[in-house]
Amino acid sequence: MMVGALDRRGLSFLLGSLLLITLPHGWHIPWPLFGFFAVMLVWRFMAVRYPGWLPKRWQLFLLTLLGVALLLSQQRGVFGRDAGTGLIVVALGLKLLEIRGRRDVLLVVYLAFIVAASQFLYEQSILMAGYILLVCILLLATLIVQTAERVETRAALKTATAIVLQALPLALVLFVLFPRLEAPRWMWLADDNKALSGLSDTLEPGSISDLSLSDELVFRVRFEGDVPPPLLRYWRGAVYSRTDGVRWTVDSSRDTSARPPEFSGDAYRYTLLMEPQKQNWVFGLEMPESFGAGLRSIHGFQLRSDKRPADRAEYKIVSRPFYNTGPLSPADYRENLQLPLAASDRQLALIKALGGGNASPEQFIQNLLNHFRREAFFYTLAPPLMPENPIDTFLFETRSGFCSHYAAAFVYLLRIAKIPARVIGGYQGGEFNKVGGFLEVRQADAHAWAEAWLENKGWVRFDPTAAVAPERVERGVNVDLQIASGAVNFGPLTGDSAALNWFKRGRQLWQSVDYNWQRWVINYSGANQMQFLRTLGIDGISPLVKWLLGSLLAVTLPLAWWLLKKPAKTADKPLLVYRRFCGKLADAGVVIGQGEGAKDFAGRAQKQLPELAGRIEQISALFIRLRYQADAKAGDLQRLKNLVDAFSVKKRR
Amino acid sequence: MHEALHQLLACADSVILGKRTQIRLAVCCLLAKGHLLIEDIPGVGKTTLSHALAHLFGLGYQRIQFTSDILPADIMGSAVFDSRQNSFSFRQGPLFNQMILADEINRATPKAQSALLEAMEERQVTVEGQTYPLPEPFFVIATQNPSYQIGTFPLPESQLDRFLMRIELGYPSRQAERELLIGQPRHRLIKNLPVYLPAEQLAALQHEVAGVHVAPALLDYVLAIIDFTRHCDDYPCGLSPRAGLSLLAAAKAWALMDQRGAVLPEDVQAVLPAVAGHRLSPGGRDSGATVAPILRQVAVL
Repeated sequence: MMVGALDRRGLSFLLGSLLLITLPHGWHIPWPLFGFFAVMLVWRFMAVRYPGWLPKRWQLFLLTLLGVALLLSQQRGVFGRDAGTGLIVVALGLKLLEIRGRRDVLLVVYLAFIVAASQFLYEQSILMAGYILLVCILLLATLIVQTAERVETRAALKTATAIVLQALPLALVLFVLFPRLEAPRWMWLADDNKALSGLSDTLEPGSISDLSLSDELVFRVRFEGDVPPPLLRYWRGAVYSRTDGVRWTVDSSRDTSARPPEFSGDAYRYTLLMEPQKQNWVFGLEMPESFGAGLRSIHGFQLRSDKRPADRAEYKIVSRPFYNTGPLSPADYRENLQLPLAASDRQLALIKALGGGNASPEQFIQNLLNHFRREAFFYTLAPPLMPENPIDTFLFETRSGFCSHYAAAFVYLLRIAKIPARVIGGYQGGEFNKVGGFLEVRQADAHAWAEAWLENKGWVRFDPTAAVAPERVERGVNVDLQIASGAVNFGPLTGDSAALNWFKRGRQLWQSVDYNWQRWVINYSGANQMQFLRTLGIDGISPLVKWLLGSLLAVTLPLAWWLLKKPAKTADKPLLVYRRFCGKLADAGVVIGQGEGAKDFAGRAQKQLPELAGRIEQISALFIRLRYQADAKAGDLQRLKNLVDAFSVKKRR
Repeated sequence: MHEALHQLLACADSVILGKRTQIRLAVCCLLAKGHLLIEDIPGVGKTTLSHALAHLFGLGYQRIQFTSDILPADIMGSAVFDSRQNSFSFRQGPLFNQMILADEINRATPKAQSALLEAMEERQVTVEGQTYPLPEPFFVIATQNPSYQIGTFPLPESQLDRFLMRIELGYPSRQAERELLIGQPRHRLIKNLPVYLPAEQLAALQHEVAGVHVAPALLDYVLAIIDFTRHCDDYPCGLSPRAGLSLLAAAKAWALMDQRGAVLPEDVQAVLPAVAGHRLSPGGRDSGATVAPILRQVAVL
């Protein structure tokens, strides 16, 4: 008899929670698979109302074949995150049409827990975590509804919430103390088909202006001391030294480690939390002096990580704003003077006019910057197209461009003037989050600037954009306005406080919560754990085990005490003793029914075990007196105990 | 007094053959100060049962045959003009008796039915603004034909609830029927029955019923039953608080008849079909089947 398990309300409840659990997968798994699941779910919903609509066995078989065909057509392989998720979702959909008994309901619920957990393979944000937690409460409630003899949704939800709340402290302890499984062991689950934006190793004419319209977070920085002023916030990325006149590329053949420069000035210590990236680049503040293991500084002082760029990662870096990179090797010298074409007459004339060849390189660079400043150059997000000879067109005709145009033209002219120079891509600026006390750098902060090599000084940063539009560097980008208008917009002139309205404050608060979630939960890796545990004085397996058991006890004991305390009040001692008596009779094959009272049961037992009739009568009468009658005496419970202890039956074979 | 009760039951058994449980339920109903509804086809002994009970308890007995044209005044009585005193005086109807057999109550129109049922509930009658109390004890045994028979007005749920119990008599067993065929006519037997429990002793017993002990554990069981009926999908609506009170009162009376000073779950189970059957499934006939899920699924211990 399946009275409670398969009633309409219970099934509808189950199907409803399944819908909520699978819904977020609609964004990840291919739509034919999700559509297949949705059709199965709707079908089952209809069948709750019209049970005749359930498919027959052969129809189910055909549906299964269809599901397998869909899976094969949508997935390239059997392994991997997407294939696995698709398989589970399709299987769940098929199983729905096959619910016949309680066993199937339980199976579906357990499958749904797996589906819920698989959401975390795609998204680990705090919102998703909250959603999954709510969904787990729903699933638990379904389990409660299925197992309880009576179905009351609100009570089931309440119980499920209580269960989840009671489990949270345990989960917390295990999360903090239990040795972390390292990501690489299940990296095979992840597919790298997510489209991520960001800088690439080729600087195309429009690539940075594309990024300027994205408020996607690139990384966050928390400084241990002072935050550098906006003018110093240059986050170094790629070093573009090769050009064909239009594009600038990274010379990956020289991907070797660099000789560290000599540093001076105050050190900035900070923690960098990188969001998922396309490349394994880490954007250090110019110029990174020391950095933890897992990072290396390659040629051109760019930081690269050994980790998968698609994962969030945290790095501790120390940078100093002043540095001398020292002499240049002949190969580097040649490399940074490389030009695709001979210089045009106009370019040569301009260089001559600015004192190229006669004045010192410093003087020439100063003149060139002044040229940008004085002449009618414009800073714009949407410059006119320059398909032919872009440097010339920009310098002498259109004269309006974005940071990459200025940096490229600047470097180009320097190279013609025989000064080694290169374009640097990275980010400049960043918005300070007052709530969280960290700096947020977005794709819109992407920037390109120039570096020139000067005798005795090494590589020196020059930002031609600052000459044209000093606001860009001093005030940063106003991301919201820039995205809204599609044109260049800078941050407010005065301090932030005037413009910091409640909306912005709310967003900063949320960013701060998200930052801490990323930092302390998502990014809690094995290494971080070891470090954290060491601060607690746990430096080996045995203290860890002790801590683990100790904190588990510390969490479970109060919970258990709290839970057991309540029934203890109503705990019916005669009933407990009587249950022992029933257990003994059950050994003899006489089992008390759920709806059977002690008197009726005694009568039945006496009939079946006539040799024990007297004892059974005595015990039952005593129990009835203790439980139902007003005239129970003080010693009755003890007598009942003694009688039950002495009671023994021959076990039935 | 308990001895007299015992003799009374044994005597009733000898008159109405093979209906042990039903007789006990009827007496239990009387002890619990409730009214009884007997539902069955004509001729299975409904009248005989009520008649015998009235005699055994020594109650003033009146039978009211309900027909489709009976009026409330025919039951309760009416004001009649007295020409000598030049005023109206109230002439009591057949209702003013200690035991009423309301025969074939569902043949009457709802108007007449509700007049009777109001009197049952309030134990008084109001005519022309004047209230007249009914005698004590006041016990109504109503009989009703199964509603599938022609020319019946089924009692609505709200009025079924006024009856503490509904029992079915059913055909007698083969053995009982044989004895019936060879024995004396029942009405002659009934005429000669002695009175075992006169009205004042009945009142004392009724008082004693109220004093039967109810343990917290038993209350839990009764509450669990009520709760179950309210949440189980098998029943259109659960037991009302009045039904809960009725169930407990009947169980107390049952315990008393079993000569116990405390109610056991078995007492509740014994009266449950009669007390809850018509309330949970007003149209249904098999009360035992109606309450079977309760007996099976509600945990006693």
